[in-house]
Amino acid sequence: MMSTNFSHQDIVELLGAFALDAVDDDERDVIEAHLAGCPRCRAEVEGHRETAALLAHSGERAPENVWDRIAEALDEAPPALDLTRLTPRRPAAPRTIPLRMAAVTMAVAAAVTLFLGVALGRNDDGRLGRLEEQITALQKPAVANAAYAALADPKAEHVELASVDGKGTARVVRLPDGTGYLVPANLPKLPAGRVYQLWAVRSDAKISLGVLGAAPEVTAFRMNGPVAAYAVTDEAAGGVAQSQNQPVVVGYVKA
Amino acid sequence: MPADEIRDASDPMLVVAIGRYRQEALAEAYRRHAGAVFALSRRLLIDRNLAEEVVQEVFLRLWHRPEKFDPDRGSLRSFLLAQTHGRSVDILRSEVSRRRREERDARETAEADYDIEHAVVDMAVADDVRQAMAVLPVGERAAIELAYFGGHTYREVAALLDEPEGTVKSRIRSGLRRLRTVLVDTGIGA
Repeated sequence: MMSTNFSHQDIVELLGAFALDAVDDDERDVIEAHLAGCPRCRAEVEGHRETAALLAHSGERAPENVWDRIAEALDEAPPALDLTRLTPRRPAAPRTIPLRMAAVTMAVAAAVTLFLGVALGRNDDGRLGRLEEQITALQKPAVANAAYAALADPKAEHVELASVDGKGTARVVRLPDGTGYLVPANLPKLPAGRVYQLWAVRSDAKISLGVLGAAPEVTAFRMNGPVAAYAVTDEAAGGVAQSQNQPVVVGYVKA
Repeated sequence: MPADEIRDASDPMLVVAIGRYRQEALAEAYRRHAGAVFALSRRLLIDRNLAEEVVQEVFLRLWHRPEKFDPDRGSLRSFLLAQTHGRSVDILRSEVSRRRREERDARETAEADYDIEHAVVDMAVADDVRQAMAVLPVGERAAIELAYFGGHTYREVAALLDEPEGTVKSRIRSGLRRLRTVLVDTGIGA
């Protein structure tokens, strides 16, 4: 029987079996602890798993009834932060947040402060944050080019966003088809654990257009229908479903 | 990412969109990979209902914990299948242990003989992969099939094949490496 005093060679010999979940629990614990500090062994396990994934390849169709059950379970998941509900695959009411305010004409920006914040459990500083950075780096030129093309489009809706002191600025441009871009000009980098979040403010609701990260780049979003104003808030990492914070920058759509 | 781009998005991009709670990104990941996830789980568990539960669990986990996927550490497919395999084997082993407690040791041998035949003869894999498996020495092939598709530990495989445990764990590892080379040569694993 193996004990906890494995040599490196003992562990290496077990990597194939480990990758196929074919080791005993005590061996698995020892190997997992070892992998945390041994990139070479980790790479070997990853290679074995890729190979195993090829073995599992099969033409079997994904069971549709299972997807229905998954989709049902998602409805109980944390609230969507972004455009999910604006472009629903299945018919569904758009996710809007009712505005508990009678007179809104003067107070669109104040609407941003009206709601209780609901923190979501996703950590933008975690692995997904890194993944997002990698992909953003790849996509950046394409998104930026599209945004600059939109900025030059006379049919687009152009909105300047500014902070109270005028120092922070950003620009939103939205094409008639609903594709929009936020182009941050002077948004200071936020400390760890904080992220910017972009909102479309309507007379009846405030809709999150996405979490922008701590140092936003040009970002694409999608929003159909009239918008009274756009606002960017500073939120806890992960973003919130409803914000009670004052906007960092806000800009009103010209009537 | 507009909705119509989801279908063309790379797997890592889908996971980012899932991180932003976009259900259609999860639906697309499901469309791409749930067939393989289901096939593997069913291969291990035989029972369709149990396999469907594993599929559901694996994709809901992707929805709730998308940050667990690291594209530097492999493909989304292998990430999902590794979870599928681990979960299926957990269920299998708990079922097996329950059954074993009930049936006692006497029947184990008969069960084991059935498993060998089942795992080796009835492989639910694509033809090209079957061919790749065919180039492996018999000992390596049997060890990998029993471990991966049979859900056995290498110790169990050693007992089933009546081989030393050390030999079996070496064969699993050398067989996987050989298979990798063959699959890359044939372009499947490139």
